[in-house]
Amino acid sequence: MLGYLVLSGITTGALYALVALGVVIVFKATGTVNFAHGDLFMIGGFLAFTFHVLMGLPYLVALALAVAAGFGIGILTDRIAFRPLMRANLVSLVLATVGFSFILKGIARSVWGGKADLFAFPPLISPDPIFLGPLIIIPQQLVAIGGAALVMGAFAAFFRLTRIGKMMQATADNPKAATLVGIRTDRVYMYAFGVGAAVAASAAVLMAPLTLLYPDIGFVLFIKGFAAAVLGGLSSLPGAVVGGLVVGVVEALAGGYINSSFLEVSAFVVIMVVLVLRPTGLFGATAVRRV
Amino acid sequence: MSRLLGRRTLLALGVAALAAVPTFANPYVVFVGNQLMLYVILAVGLNILVGYAGQLAFANAAMFGIGAYGTGLLQVHFGVPYYAAAPAGALLAMLIGLAMAWPALRLSGLYLALATLAFAQFTLWVFLHWESVTFGAGGFKVPPPSFAPLPLPSNLGIYYLSLLAMAALVAIAWNVVRSRIGRAFVAIRDGEVAAQALGIDLFRYKAIAFGMSGLYAGIAGALHSALLNYVSPEGFDLFQMVLHKAMIVVGGLGSLAGSVVGATTLTLILEALREFKSTQEIAFGALLLVFVIFMPDGIVAALKQRLQGWEEPLRRVRGRPGAAAGAEARP
Repeated sequence: MLGYLVLSGITTGALYALVALGVVIVFKATGTVNFAHGDLFMIGGFLAFTFHVLMGLPYLVALALAVAAGFGIGILTDRIAFRPLMRANLVSLVLATVGFSFILKGIARSVWGGKADLFAFPPLISPDPIFLGPLIIIPQQLVAIGGAALVMGAFAAFFRLTRIGKMMQATADNPKAATLVGIRTDRVYMYAFGVGAAVAASAAVLMAPLTLLYPDIGFVLFIKGFAAAVLGGLSSLPGAVVGGLVVGVVEALAGGYINSSFLEVSAFVVIMVVLVLRPTGLFGATAVRRV
Repeated sequence: MSRLLGRRTLLALGVAALAAVPTFANPYVVFVGNQLMLYVILAVGLNILVGYAGQLAFANAAMFGIGAYGTGLLQVHFGVPYYAAAPAGALLAMLIGLAMAWPALRLSGLYLALATLAFAQFTLWVFLHWESVTFGAGGFKVPPPSFAPLPLPSNLGIYYLSLLAMAALVAIAWNVVRSRIGRAFVAIRDGEVAAQALGIDLFRYKAIAFGMSGLYAGIAGALHSALLNYVSPEGFDLFQMVLHKAMIVVGGLGSLAGSVVGATTLTLILEALREFKSTQEIAFGALLLVFVIFMPDGIVAALKQRLQGWEEPLRRVRGRPGAAAGAEARP
């Protein structure tokens, strides 16, 4: 029981971690949180569904196309909901992305179906569970965990090794100094939105076979990813991964040991408690108040 | 001339017009008018918290729900009559609002947004899953309130009660925002540290802002339960939250007249698009986005240019980067 719950918690947690990574990368670059991030995830999932199930393309091709499309929609988010407001205050920035999130949700609902429509995404490999001693493993879980680890590795490499990644780090550390050495920070913001959305889309493609797809999945998933990111300190990439895993495992344990309906809500309770007791998260630096 | 076309005259005319509606209109129009009044109450309460006090909170729809559930459940489970259950439900929402001021003291900007979002999701989950008390996803029926000594049917009674509540609450809000309290709100919005340096007690004024907005949402919820004679969780979800946010942004953040204008505009659009959920989402999302980008001061900013005597005290100042909570979250 415990082993099974922890494994399924790690599976969903790995995907929350991917969503949280997207939240953190946008936050690090721009200082705001993209409230449409969950809906970028949702659109990525539906696009993969269209490519894979409706058009019959192979899974990996659908994955690549969905990630590329996610990158594009992320850049669109930057253009529409962030760039015109770069000098506005936080309330405006957040409300603009909330508005964009509802536009995406409405589009998904009118393109892919009504409120109650749930879409099943076929698993990548055989759905038969593997029995490993007392442990029951659904192969797709391993695919999701492995895929998430791959994406995280690629993400870390991208940050450390590529020119764009280094430019992003420089901008996150000190935007003014980055501008002084010739980095076009507005480009960096754009790439941050794009990369964040691409990671969200990859998470959606990995998650879709395990859950169902529906237009409302985005915002709730965003709140959980945001919670995971804050748990990890909001500006720490390893923190986001740990935060995601913690949220996933806590959820699975609460759902297994208390009541299955607690699965949905435990993440929210955890984040409320953490925010009240330790507002900067587990890995966050001590907050500096700017006057 | 300026006096005649002023904001106060227009609002008084609006109240008079709403009072006259039931004498000639059909029940559907009366219902929409009643809903409009509830949305005005909600928008005014939310604008006090977000537009004046600058607190990026997302729990307004949850407070609305707490008011409605509190009122309805007291009637259903304990047989409390409406005139006692409604104030109790509204007070419950106010108390929970007050309690939120405590975390809000330590959290600002994005962290407050997350905490209130989590709270809203938690509330919705309680409505859905605490079935022995809240009747779960299907919701429950509330007995129509009786206005026994008055010769009014239930729906007209609620209509005039809502009108009375709306007029009183808008008047109270008007007096609060132009008092010492309103100035304190705006000072907190424009810079918490500076406000503190001026001797403003952050906890006290945040508590007042959260409590007022909770009370307003709770009163709207109490009236809502009687208007529909039915309470269900889906009336208080994220869509409702965005609807309230869109109202205050379209009308004008930090403007009471704006709350009224925004609530009216969006109620009419909501009714026009009632059949199409996806179109509603696109329309409200787009309105929110377009107004934030192109008209950050909302419709009232345009009205102010055309109508003299429309000035409101403490309008938000535009174009100051990081003036509000943003200063702390941006690197």
